[in-house]
Amino acid sequence: MSEDTKIIMDEDIEKKLEAEVEKERFLTFHSADLTFAANTKYVIEIITNHAITTLPMVPEYIKGIINLRGQIIPIVDIRLRLGKPPIDMENNDTTCIIVLDIDSISVGILVDSVSQVVDSELSKISPVPVNNQHELVNGMISLDVNNVVLLLDCQQLVDTQKMM
Amino acid sequence: MDNGTDSMLDMYLFETNSLMEQLDELLIEAEKVEEFSTDDVNEIFRIMHTIKGSSAMMEFTSLNQIAHHIEDLFFYIRENGMDAIAPELKKTLFNLMFKATDMLRSEIEKVENNEPLTENIDNIIGEINSFLNKISNPSDAADSPADTQQDSPSVEELNMELAHCPDDNAPFFIKVLFEEGCGMENLRAFMLVNALQDLALDFHFYPDDVENNSDSSQSIIDNGFFLTLEKEENIEKVVNVITGTSHIHSYEVIENARLKRSGKDPDEQADISAQAAVPISTDDTPVKAASIDNKNIEVPAKQTAAPAANAARLHAGPVKQSLISVNLSKLDALVAIVGEIVITESMVTSSPDIQGLKLDNFMKSSRQLGKLTKELQDIAMSLRMVPVSGVFQKMNRIVRDMKQKLNKDVRLTIIGEDTELDKSIVDGISDPIMHIVRNSMDHGVENTSEERIAAGKDPQAEIILSAAHTGSEVIIKVEDDGYGMDTEQILAKAANNGLLIKPESEYTKKEILGLLLLPGFSTNEEVTEYSGRGVGMDVVKRNVEAVGGTVSISSELGQGSCTTLKIPLTMAIVDGMEIAVGQSIFTVPIANIRQSFKVSNEDVVYDAEGNEIVKCMDEFYPIIRVHQLYNVETDVTSIEDGILIWVEASDTSYCLFVDELLGEQQVVVKPLPTYLNSFNIKNSGISGCTILGNGNISIILDILSLYEMTQY
Repeated sequence: MSEDTKIIMDEDIEKKLEAEVEKERFLTFHSADLTFAANTKYVIEIITNHAITTLPMVPEYIKGIINLRGQIIPIVDIRLRLGKPPIDMENNDTTCIIVLDIDSISVGILVDSVSQVVDSELSKISPVPVNNQHELVNGMISLDVNNVVLLLDCQQLVDTQKMM
Repeated sequence: MDNGTDSMLDMYLFETNSLMEQLDELLIEAEKVEEFSTDDVNEIFRIMHTIKGSSAMMEFTSLNQIAHHIEDLFFYIRENGMDAIAPELKKTLFNLMFKATDMLRSEIEKVENNEPLTENIDNIIGEINSFLNKISNPSDAADSPADTQQDSPSVEELNMELAHCPDDNAPFFIKVLFEEGCGMENLRAFMLVNALQDLALDFHFYPDDVENNSDSSQSIIDNGFFLTLEKEENIEKVVNVITGTSHIHSYEVIENARLKRSGKDPDEQADISAQAAVPISTDDTPVKAASIDNKNIEVPAKQTAAPAANAARLHAGPVKQSLISVNLSKLDALVAIVGEIVITESMVTSSPDIQGLKLDNFMKSSRQLGKLTKELQDIAMSLRMVPVSGVFQKMNRIVRDMKQKLNKDVRLTIIGEDTELDKSIVDGISDPIMHIVRNSMDHGVENTSEERIAAGKDPQAEIILSAAHTGSEVIIKVEDDGYGMDTEQILAKAANNGLLIKPESEYTKKEILGLLLLPGFSTNEEVTEYSGRGVGMDVVKRNVEAVGGTVSISSELGQGSCTTLKIPLTMAIVDGMEIAVGQSIFTVPIANIRQSFKVSNEDVVYDAEGNEIVKCMDEFYPIIRVHQLYNVETDVTSIEDGILIWVEASDTSYCLFVDELLGEQQVVVKPLPTYLNSFNIKNSGISGCTILGNGNISIILDILSLYEMTQY
């Protein structure tokens, strides 16, 4: 299993040395043409090449369940969850599953690719413009390199009542 | 140290709770015949004595006090026999006992929840004392608190005589018991006296010739060694010395009741009567009252189980010596590991590396391993199983109480109480069952027996509580033969509450009864003490679903209703048949399979709607194609290519059409992730999943709900 796990820590170490501002750490990933950021406090691990067992009678965006060391974890396809077209699984080797633990509910999200871990001051997180509300997004972080990432609303992801 | 007190507390709670259960059972049984047998009285005395002792040790004053007073009461009954109690008072005795046990129970609950104990318990103690007063002085039935206080010392005196206290006018006695068989008791006592003399206290000791009379040993062994003290403040110093001395089994501080009887402390007496007259007093006074009441503190030295052991020796009752209590989390860990071992075992024995090799010795040992693993698994599973009788017995009590309050004549019949369920599930279903029984008592059963006679029923209503195993489930039913449910009334009420989602005429009877389980539904117009607050069946449903079960209601108007709880045996290990449909693998519990067979096209007939039906054993059964039901892509769509599995669950029976059978395997049931619960997956024929030997996941089919799903 360990070769499946990518650990991204290049930036972590140097950032730790910096003065303690109110900072949170985010894992950024791509899905469709969007870049998301998920708070690392929810992230358990990143796995690739995992056989997903499909489940009948569930919405399409639930890809199925996986067996992660004896633990059964449901997999949500972020693309389908957001109503985007599914990714071409055949010609893609960057797709991976990010396993999240949100208030002790484990869920894996299927994303196109994982990019990096960034530190961001809490003050840099701005709310989403009212007329631009987006599902699963509860904020935006502007990174210095002139790009803006969407903050993944992990709570909404597991709040299945709202989805119904 | 913290750990030490924790495990002591655990022990205490375990012991006290099981004693309370025994007591409850005993009371219910005894009430049926309206009499305590001598055995019952001894048993209650023993239970109360144990609770008193261990509560004192844990410093739970209120528990200690209540138990102490009940003990006094039963001491009197034991000495004088049940006949001494006037028949009309027996009912009062039972009510009093139930009230007192409730009080004890609520105090124990507080201990469990780490809440402060009730400080003011004068109310219940006053009641016990006045009852004791009543039965001991039938001529003087006045139950003023002052009388109570004057009278109760008579029991104290009896207690003192029981303890063989010597004649002395000192206000305090300390009774010391040496360890059995330690030898030379008189010299040990003398050493203790020497140690105490170093403190320069004013005290006497009995027998007083320990120094030069070796015969006093026998008296010490039989009756104990007594120290008498003049001043209360010295007790602590003496106790310190005693606990520091070796070979002491236990000691007991006894207040001289004879002295008290003579009215030596009029101030104290006045104080007590004032206390008792004002049962609800402010926060600071009860402490004082409690401390005055502390006549009898039994503190076993060193050996924590001493009071229990003493009591057990005195009255040979059913002592469960062969039981140990184990932390539930350890058991969980054990079961989880055993589950992994089972999977790993099958991974090893079916490893692709050894396929096709002829390894005689390996096969032999792996078979042995398989057998042992299965045994290990069975034992691990059975560890967590407890009978439901504990929960069922509680219902006896509820029916009894409500019978009196509502003035209804109901009998509770219990069937299958030794059915075993996982411990956590038994705990989880206690509240739902209680709720259902209350509902049945309150508005299920007719209000008067005249009404029942008019309806042509037995004047005594019956509530049947039953539990039974069916394969992988336990079915718990609460049936009553009362009014039954009026579907029209339910529908109207639901419409009133805005719970309907389609026109009234489209509701089937089953759906209407299902409305009862919705939040905010209560058929009773009036709110009563027991039910009808608008929270009810929906809470039942939620609680039962929390342990993976289902609730359903059936009812015939005028004949009664039946609430059925289907509870899975969690983490149960299921013998399953692995079946393949397309790329997916499913598991069908072997218990549900009657037969599997191939059919030709000619065997299949069609009903009016074009559904496939097949005939087996002269009966016709519908065919459900799994690939159609679950939209699984497969090449096997012709009925001749695949295979039919004839399955059966409770009263439904049908045939599943699948691609092929892969083989039989024992699987560990894992629940589906909680995240998926909101997709109503439980009602789509899926009960859980399991991990196969190769690490793949197989979905376990629930034969009953799979069929129900196809019916909508």
